[in-house]
Amino acid sequence: MADEAPFQFLHSEVIEYIYKSADSGEVENGRNITKLENMGLRVGQGLIERLTKDTARFKDELDIMKFICKDFWTCVFKKQIDNLRTNHQGIYVLQDNKFRLLSHLSAGKQYLEHAPKYLAFTCGLVRGALSNLGVKSIVTAEVSVMPACKFQVMIQKS
Amino acid sequence: MTVHNLYIFDRNGNCLYYNEWNRKKQAGISKDEEYKLMYGMLFSIRSFVSKMSPLDMKEGFLSFQTSRYRLHYYETPSGLKFVMNTDLSVSNARETLQHIYSNLYVELIVKNPVCSSAPSLDSEVFSSRLDAFIRALPYYSPRAA
Repeated sequence: MADEAPFQFLHSEVIEYIYKSADSGEVENGRNITKLENMGLRVGQGLIERLTKDTARFKDELDIMKFICKDFWTCVFKKQIDNLRTNHQGIYVLQDNKFRLLSHLSAGKQYLEHAPKYLAFTCGLVRGALSNLGVKSIVTAEVSVMPACKFQVMIQKS
Repeated sequence: MTVHNLYIFDRNGNCLYYNEWNRKKQAGISKDEEYKLMYGMLFSIRSFVSKMSPLDMKEGFLSFQTSRYRLHYYETPSGLKFVMNTDLSVSNARETLQHIYSNLYVELIVKNPVCSSAPSLDSEVFSSRLDAFIRALPYYSPRAA
């Protein structure tokens, strides 16, 4: 993770590619967002294996979430999550006030409708990381004012 | 001490961005014609300067001055041209233009996937940061000289 620029450019290109190669009839977001999320899933799984190969086992779910917020986020985005909230019943909200992949897009409301595309990959990333740590989850993201955004993680008890 | 206006041209001559801060007199022609005039002049001056230079040239055309204003020019290796008109008290704006390129343009436009290389730059954050940057320059003051 020497430099952010290659990853950011590649990420933007992946999104462009997915949207362009979708059949011209379906510009609907659903399929494309799912494809991006699945990509993020695989990447997240591999990344977390690599990052945790020397760390001790995690005590509980909260510890796992804290790891994601600090070390994992620092590794990928060079900064930590700004705010982590939970209801202690399996829902966690990670807030990033200056999300790296959005800060070049706009600082406010312009281009808001494009924002979900840029968050899908990261949602998959978090979901993949959690899944390889043994936690099944659903991750969604919402953005109201760029570049701040919130990732909501819902743990699935099986 | 002031900055009058700023143009950004791409390598084909399209004006990507224009903004003015303290311009007292307009050119009397439409904006499109003004951009073409500016670009044509720059193109001619650059080739003139390189042909007529009595020594080996390093940077080429940098700036010209009149009795009321000075025009500063900065061209990037990728063919992007930054042109800034300031008053006479500013002798060298090259670093400013270079900063505008590397910290504002590259960060906010090049890295912005939604701003494809269309003939114009729509990014609001670029406009507002550029505006803030110009106003914060040591040689900028709201009252024109």
